[in-house]
Amino acid sequence: MIEPPAYLLLSAILFGIGVVGVVARRNILIILMSVEVMLNGVNVAFVAVGSYLGDATGGIFAFMVMTVAAAEAAVGLALLIALYRIRETIDITELKVLKW
Amino acid sequence: MTPIAMDTGALVRGLYCILPEMVVIGTAILVLLADLLLPEEGKKRLCHLSVAGVAAAILSALWLGPGKIEGFSGMIVHDGMGLFFTLTILAAALLTLMMATGYSEWEGTQKGEFYALILLSTSGMLFMAEGTDLMTVFLGLETLSIPIYCLVGFHRGRMRSLEGAMKYFLLGAFSSGFFLYGIALMYAAAGTTRIPVIASMMRDARLYGNPVFLAGIGLLLVGFAFKVSLVPFHMWTPDAYEGAPTLVTAFMGAAVKAAAFAALLRVVLLTFPAILPAMSGVLWVLAALTMTVGNFSALLQNNMKRMLAYSSIAHAGYILVGLTAGGVAGGQAVLFYVLVYAFMNLGAFGVIMLVAQREDDGYDIDNFAGIGFRYPVLGGLLSLFLVSLAGIPPTAGFVGKFYLFGAAVRSGYVGLAVLGVLNSAVSVYYYLRPVVSMYMAPAPEGIPVPRPPRSAFSFALCASAAAVLLLGVMPASALEFAERSVLSLLM
Amino acid sequence: MNGPSDFIFYAAAALTVGSAILVATLPNIIYAAVALLFAFAGVAGLYVFLSADFLAATQVLVYVGGILVLILFAVFLSNRLADVKISNPGHFHLPAAAVCLVLFGVLSYTAVSTPFAVKTAVYLPTTADIGEMLMTRYLLPFEVASVLLLAALIGAALLSRPERGTPEKADMEEGRG
Repeated sequence: MIEPPAYLLLSAILFGIGVVGVVARRNILIILMSVEVMLNGVNVAFVAVGSYLGDATGGIFAFMVMTVAAAEAAVGLALLIALYRIRETIDITELKVLKW
Repeated sequence: MTPIAMDTGALVRGLYCILPEMVVIGTAILVLLADLLLPEEGKKRLCHLSVAGVAAAILSALWLGPGKIEGFSGMIVHDGMGLFFTLTILAAALLTLMMATGYSEWEGTQKGEFYALILLSTSGMLFMAEGTDLMTVFLGLETLSIPIYCLVGFHRGRMRSLEGAMKYFLLGAFSSGFFLYGIALMYAAAGTTRIPVIASMMRDARLYGNPVFLAGIGLLLVGFAFKVSLVPFHMWTPDAYEGAPTLVTAFMGAAVKAAAFAALLRVVLLTFPAILPAMSGVLWVLAALTMTVGNFSALLQNNMKRMLAYSSIAHAGYILVGLTAGGVAGGQAVLFYVLVYAFMNLGAFGVIMLVAQREDDGYDIDNFAGIGFRYPVLGGLLSLFLVSLAGIPPTAGFVGKFYLFGAAVRSGYVGLAVLGVLNSAVSVYYYLRPVVSMYMAPAPEGIPVPRPPRSAFSFALCASAAAVLLLGVMPASALEFAERSVLSLLM
Repeated sequence: MNGPSDFIFYAAAALTVGSAILVATLPNIIYAAVALLFAFAGVAGLYVFLSADFLAATQVLVYVGGILVLILFAVFLSNRLADVKISNPGHFHLPAAAVCLVLFGVLSYTAVSTPFAVKTAVYLPTTADIGEMLMTRYLLPFEVASVLLLAALIGAALLSRPERGTPEKADMEEGRG
């Protein structure tokens, strides 16, 4: 039988991989994908806790997280395209008009 | 399948409770529709419409009064503290939109989307400030952030604007992940996301010392720290502030900070007393770091926008001193300071918007040389706002800092208060540098003529100046309002 | 319920974690996007395993059908496929790695030490429950989410439109586009 800590451990692993991806990569798209991995890790925790507590809050929270993730992805990719249009780069280290 | 039982009375009560939010969202939708109908020359009506909508929201918030109204089965509450922050945020939005009358004309932001995004962001701030469930707080936070990402990048032909927006967006999305993981862990430990229920579980020690809960609250704090730009989570602030259209910068500093501190205050005041020893240490270090790094980095800046960005980091540190102190006195000081900071920040940005002729390099301090005597009103106003930011009497900034550090001393954090006072002394140097340059430096040939302000713009500047002076000379009623608000939360 | 169900859990978990690691490490963006697809699918499988049928469906629809397609669009729009520059290696920060390790340690410790009231998941359909809750107890978050989506829609449309000079020209462009 799979116990709840297994799910929380899994969610921690996913979240951690996402954090490493965000911190270590320079490509904006990969950073965005890593953020999505982080949010998936969060959702696994929400759904697992909700399901083991027999409470719908976890599921609904995960649902809201998905909504927000979609909205963030839309805005982020729009920004990316606007940036690419005038700069032709999606490498974060190239963003240095402003001091980083 | 039984039909869902709708409780009409509860629904009406809930809608009544979110009246200001509904007015703001309704105005945003009206602006979008009017944008389609109005001809190009009539677009400035959009700004007037937004101002009217925010004014109506302020009236509706006042009509609701400070009494406690819970709505939507405890998802949101309109109480004294909610009212205080609602009024602060709406006042900031109102002043921003009044300044937009001039700014939009100069910088080409005379667009329906611009106003709609400001209004939608404002509604998110209100939800965040009044949310009593972490779900409402989270959704409010995102509703306030997503329009701001877009507003920062609004000048999408300007590299700096887009670059600031991209950095803000990436770190914002990253921090949302931490915020959410914190909520998930708190939910795992407590089985609920309601802030009052979690607080009562803290009090009867069911959650006390639970490692999951502590980790959750730590991650939540990291998420908040990104949003209010506490050191070491402040990397995005200078870039986003410098890159954004100046009007948006002013709005971010005043209103976003107020909303984030409102939610943080609700969480901290309700849940932290039980775990205070552990948490106050963390807050102490964050406050000390934020003040010091913010002030010393501001010393090195030559661009007014960037300097004010670092100063806003430092001010977040001062406010955190009040949070560290905690209790009624600390809460009262935080509320008062957030209000005061909104006025002085908006005022300072308003004046430099008039003096700088263009985005990007118009904001160098050299551009301010000699304008003090040639344009006495502008010079006087900017000096007033900067003096208030530095915390020199008789301005509101002084009273605010006095209460923040006083609360810290009363709670036994003398070291932190001393550090705060030392930091204020350092900050005087960089706040007075533009003032000195305005009055002492010789005016260069061909001194730029400041833009002629529109009447609404002048009114907004005068109102901010009046607020800074009034709150400085007779702060009693505002302080009493702040105290009652905190008490209404703690009862 | 021992044996086979455990095996399915471990398989889904391994798929998710493996693909997530590939997302964070693969140098080629398109391969990373495909790995992300498998990570999302693995998470959907875990939801099924947790008896969250509605969320599993939403996961597939929103993430795989929406976000991933959006990301792929961005990949194709921002890279000329003929270019070799599509690859983008990561670089290694010691402090960042240390912070991540500490974070991971804390999180996994807390995961293992969580006390739960119930030890078994209840296998019941959840869609009706979630629908009812969204219309009653969680009505407000539901509505705020709709405001959020409106804001995101306006913002994304605004940002991705090319900057234009005169409004008249803009209208023409819109008519053509």
